[in-house]
Amino acid sequence: MPALCSVGLDTSRLAGEVRAMYTRVADNPGGDYHFHRGPDYAVSVLGYGRASLDSLPYGVTSRFAGVGNPLAIAPVLPGARVVDVGGGGGTDLLLAARQVGPSGRVIGVDMTGEMLELVRAGADRLYLTNVVAIEGDATSLPVESEWADVVISNGVLNLVPDKDRALAEMWRVLVPGGRMQFADILLREGLSEDERSDIDLWTG
Amino acid sequence: MPAVLAARGFTDVRITERFDCFTGTRKERTAHRYGVLV
Repeated sequence: MPALCSVGLDTSRLAGEVRAMYTRVADNPGGDYHFHRGPDYAVSVLGYGRASLDSLPYGVTSRFAGVGNPLAIAPVLPGARVVDVGGGGGTDLLLAARQVGPSGRVIGVDMTGEMLELVRAGADRLYLTNVVAIEGDATSLPVESEWADVVISNGVLNLVPDKDRALAEMWRVLVPGGRMQFADILLREGLSEDERSDIDLWTG
Repeated sequence: MPAVLAARGFTDVRITERFDCFTGTRKERTAHRYGVLV
């Protein structure tokens, strides 16, 4: 499976369209989108616990747009350091923050400023002091090397043209023996050059 | 994807669960057309 984008793809335009789309989700989670969102979807389709999501601010969970359930893969232990790549409004990030507790740390990296504001507001409402939300890109994570015990991400890599670079960054920030737990969209077959260059297929 | 992860250095790579996040969305047909693995 190729992990690089098509040479014909305008990656700057793609990044701009992805950012614009998730800014719209942040501003208007109830709007018309091509993907499911929100806590009811997370519970009924992806197996999130209702009680866990209800304990988070609705302003956070209403913006949830993941494709799987990374935290269900393996427990994140108290005291752990976690990086959430492309964490959006912070549903997975804040759940992880609760799991790692005050001796742990969680860093959420996202390219959408409005989503990061939701994360910070959500952390404040929950009195969580172990959360940092940083604007950044999956291909250049603003995180020290070998910092994280666990890297999580949920529906992000499918939107990143240079997947190899993003995976290299996830590898870089993990401690030796660390773990990546992520959910994403997989295709059974490769795409043609034209298909990979079509931004509409990436974003809408 | 598992091969890509293994090439990067990740070990014990597993697909642990599959979810259908496209049914009921307007991308459902596109997902089937392009072979989204469910």
